[in-house]
Amino acid sequence: MAGETTIYTLRLGFDDKLKAVKVEVPKGEPRPWDADSELAVIGRDTPRIDSVPKVTGAAQYTHDVRLPGMLHAAVLRSPHPAAEIEHLDVSPALKQPGVRAAIDLVKVGDKVRFAGADVAAVAAKTRDEARAALASIVVRYRPLPFVVDLDEAIQPGSPKVHEKAVKDRRTEGDEPSEGGKARVEGNVRRNPSLSKGSSNKGLRQAKVRHEATYTTQVHTHSALETHSIVVRWDSPKAMTAWCSTQGIFSVRDELAGVFELKPADVKVFTEYMGGGFGAKFGASAPGSRLGWIAGELARKSKAPVSLLLDRHEEHVCTGNRPGSTQRVTLGATTSGELTAIHVVGHGSAGIGTGAGIGNNAFGIYTRCPNILVESRDVFCNTGPGTAFRAPGHPQGAFAIELAIDELALKLGKDPLELRIGHVEHPVRRAQLELGRERFRWAERRREADAKRSRGARYLTGVGVACSIWGDYGRKNAARVTVSVDRDGVVEVRNGVQDIGGGITTVLAMVAAEVFARPVPSIRVQVGNSELGPSVGSGGSQTTSSVAPAARNAAEAVKAELTELAAKLLGRGSTEGLVWGSDGVSEVGGRKRTIAFAELCKKIEGEAVVATASRPQTYNAGPMRHPSAPVYQIAGAHFIEAEVDTWTGVVRVPEVLAIHDVGRVHNPLTTRSQVNGGIALGISYALMEQRIVDRGSGRMLNPNLESYKIIGAAELPKLDIVFTELHTGANSTGAVGIGEPSTIPTAAAIACAVHHAIGRPVRSLPMTPDRVLAAIQGA
Amino acid sequence: MEPFTLIRPRTLDAAQTRALGAPAERVYKAGGIDLLDLLKEGLARPAELIDLRSLGDEHGQAMRALAASDSGWSVGALNTLAAISASALPQAYAALREAAGSAATPSIRNSATLGGNLLQRPRCWYFRHRDLHCLKKGGERCLADGGENKFHAILGGGPCHIVHPSTLAVALVALDAQVEIIGAEGPRRIPVGELFALPRVSPTAENTLGEGEVIRGVTLPAAAAGQRSVYEVAKEKQSFDWPLAEVAVALSVEGGALRTVRVALGHVAPTPWRAVQVEEALTGQAPSAELFARVAALATQGARSLGDNAYKIPLVQGLVRAALHRACDVPVPA
Ligand SMILES: Cc1cc2nc3c(=O)[nH]c(=O)nc-3n(C[C@H](O)[C@H](O)[C@H](O)COP(=O)(O)OP(=O)(O)OC[C@H]3O[C@@H](n4cnc5c(N)ncnc54)[C@H](O)[C@@H]3O)c2cc1C
Repeated sequence: MAGETTIYTLRLGFDDKLKAVKVEVPKGEPRPWDADSELAVIGRDTPRIDSVPKVTGAAQYTHDVRLPGMLHAAVLRSPHPAAEIEHLDVSPALKQPGVRAAIDLVKVGDKVRFAGADVAAVAAKTRDEARAALASIVVRYRPLPFVVDLDEAIQPGSPKVHEKAVKDRRTEGDEPSEGGKARVEGNVRRNPSLSKGSSNKGLRQAKVRHEATYTTQVHTHSALETHSIVVRWDSPKAMTAWCSTQGIFSVRDELAGVFELKPADVKVFTEYMGGGFGAKFGASAPGSRLGWIAGELARKSKAPVSLLLDRHEEHVCTGNRPGSTQRVTLGATTSGELTAIHVVGHGSAGIGTGAGIGNNAFGIYTRCPNILVESRDVFCNTGPGTAFRAPGHPQGAFAIELAIDELALKLGKDPLELRIGHVEHPVRRAQLELGRERFRWAERRREADAKRSRGARYLTGVGVACSIWGDYGRKNAARVTVSVDRDGVVEVRNGVQDIGGGITTVLAMVAAEVFARPVPSIRVQVGNSELGPSVGSGGSQTTSSVAPAARNAAEAVKAELTELAAKLLGRGSTEGLVWGSDGVSEVGGRKRTIAFAELCKKIEGEAVVATASRPQTYNAGPMRHPSAPVYQIAGAHFIEAEVDTWTGVVRVPEVLAIHDVGRVHNPLTTRSQVNGGIALGISYALMEQRIVDRGSGRMLNPNLESYKIIGAAELPKLDIVFTELHTGANSTGAVGIGEPSTIPTAAAIACAVHHAIGRPVRSLPMTPDRVLAAIQGA
Repeated sequence: MEPFTLIRPRTLDAAQTRALGAPAERVYKAGGIDLLDLLKEGLARPAELIDLRSLGDEHGQAMRALAASDSGWSVGALNTLAAISASALPQAYAALREAAGSAATPSIRNSATLGGNLLQRPRCWYFRHRDLHCLKKGGERCLADGGENKFHAILGGGPCHIVHPSTLAVALVALDAQVEIIGAEGPRRIPVGELFALPRVSPTAENTLGEGEVIRGVTLPAAAAGQRSVYEVAKEKQSFDWPLAEVAVALSVEGGALRTVRVALGHVAPTPWRAVQVEEALTGQAPSAELFARVAALATQGARSLGDNAYKIPLVQGLVRAALHRACDVPVPA
């Protein structure tokens, strides 16, 4: 019955700080796994169950989909960063070889607002024919004044990007927030602030102040698989789509919305996908209506249509991590107590919104009594930004953490001790203390200081930075089905997409744990909207939303099978029966066992099946997130950087990453997430940067050659430590890791470079030009 | 990318006969690395690619050879960067081995050839952009001048400001190599520096090859007694990237003094660039850290920043210092 609950006493906490906590859960929920649970599968390195098709090439990605009669689409994009359409005629394209349909995507009189915006599209028999036909489309643009640079766009009198108010485009990739009203002036839109105490008062009290401006670049997602969608109409009222997406159901809902279909009549498949990082929610990209284009061309040509973006398009119209300019002011007492943190962040998500700078300045050094974080979106004539792995956080972390190191230098304080003195979260504090020992903080700092005073060519430095994230696992969102059939086949089914995090394998592990079966014997079906509702992979909520649901469903099936076993053994109740690798056994008495296969044969009908979800987080201990009523996830990176003072080249030889991820379900894939988070962070810190030509408004490096992404040669020695925390937040104890793992990396590198050369590099990426300028004191 | 026909001639004569008369339509292909980029970017639209790797005649053999000759060493134009890097070239020519081993990525080095490396087109992002029409493509002006010019030239630029992309060329200039060219009129030999032309001579072409001419290879002159050579480079990314700047140095030490010094800089000018002032200032001096620090500053005499590329001045100076330290075994401050 709704509202009924059970109270369990669980052992929760971490390290030696475990204690008994009463947790109230809805009736019917299994006893949540806690510190006393002895698990055989969960928590052990388990290779991906889908690794063989991936490495042999058998795995089918959206780019691999070939349907009978399928056509290929190409999109004509505006070469102008701002222009009015004076004339548009797509009909000549219809006469080009192979072309079967052509549509316009703007009307005469419309404005295009960035170079790369949709103008028209065609579908043809081959991709080359489709691309070639674009040249025949007649468009006359009236170029308009434009602005592509954040600092210029802020200036009064700079060309206005939007005439009208802009609606927020939020996706499942955005961190949940309380929202609020926004005010627009010129190209600047004021977003709600985060505030406590009075930063003005705190600054007046301060004896030591640090004030500086920090800037971060625009960072594109650059997933290996570009945005792609294939649409087939099954009837005038039903369609099937294959899409490279992080959110199968967001694709279904967008297609249903734009084509006025019932969601139930839209099927979506994402069997495998090659990365998203936040840019792949919905059927479209943030800067291109891919879903509409593929669907409309398919409708007109009466054939399935495949639309695959090329790398150039991927860079300019599928989203990015907004750039930022952050003014940071810190105040402290002479003994090193922070009295105020004030950050004014301007960010540009191009023509879009959502350039906030995250919770780093507000939520980590919370012993500071006065904090104000103001955040503004600045519109520019560039492709829209969108959620990107921990939206706002890496840029926010970079500014606040480097500012704290600069303040520490002024105060003559050790920057790590300054941090430890200002964090309240017990896990974060323990992580900082652990890192101090494990990374030999003091010793390395001394060695580095000695090298600097000797005037060595290669200087080293160490830095530390923290992450903050929330347990955004969602209630009732994922409905997972588990079945055990008469043949003994255990199957887990859910419509979730595996974006590479490894949820497929975790689902097999959960079922293997519950039924005491080997992992390879479990079948898992995902990547299909017909397999039951699920979450989008954003907010680091996939495992925490889906794995507990899978456990709950598996436990329901297990309960039914246990009843069956009791009946077969002639026992009045299931009491005294346990599951093991042999099957179901009696604990006492005659200690009889029914083998799993024998038990399954006795199933009445085809199979025992249960579908379940998970409820709201039951526990937010040991510390709540400052912006949402959920458990707060902590992490810290300790990083050594080496600077060649003769060339300005920075290398990162070593990283220690300490993260809380609740209960680690599969350490192998969890580490893999952290590896990726750190690699992305180094790449962001040292090389990735969108370059937009101020003269033409075009992106100059829309490729993977002058848009530089970290390679194997730059990977450091990694030491990854998980602070295993029993949260009691859900039935398996999963929380997120994908996003927190990339938050502190660039910030810690910046602190390490500051330590190495004794001067800050206040702009990302820290490329040799900037490092040399800092060394020369420019 | 437009469709094309791949021609695989057996003799150089056949290849040249095929190529003559239609330079944009029929182009030579070696490893195909740069050519593929140019085709994909729509910067070249040839109807025929004439593969030099299929040559089976004596020229073909010479183009694949890498051996000592009477007067030094010959390296055929079809040698891959990987082969040069792993070759038996003596220590005196180490700069060439090091340069070949540092460029691009292992897989590219397995295809990319010496000839193609010298003749690859510049990486300037205005030139390579499919929507932009710059001076080098026959447009009116250099878009890097007053534009985004972080990777552009600090020396020798104007009216176009590219930097020459070839890493091997820098080492070859330091080693005083000769290029062997075969044209319709027969073979000719020029110092490698003369293969390249500044934009003020020809803004749309980077080299002086005539129509249909083929590079057969390069010869490295006999090394001076005790000759050492080294190559140093700085990149934003350690693999799969072009240099920000690079330096090759060849020198020998006789009776405690520096002799026959040649210093070449790369990625700072539209051609490989000799730092003659540095060479002169070093000659006759005893190697020392102080000397290197002082003369490195001469490497960039006359350098001019376009706005975003001023950092190349200290950078290339740092590389000159680093190269001299290594070539003379003078330890760097540690
Ligand atoms: C990611 C990346 C990084 C790179 N980094 C570097 C780097 O650091 N340093 C560097 O130097 N290069 C670098 N390169 C470029 C690469 O080394 C060159 O593209 C390659 O060397 C070209 O050689 P090829 O044999 O493939 O030439 P091709 O592409 O086959 O030919 C290039 C040109 O040379 C002409 N040609 C070739 N051989 C002859 C001949 N014998 N006679 C006459 N004409 C000829 C062709 O007609 C064509 O015009 C990089 C490339 C990539 C993709």
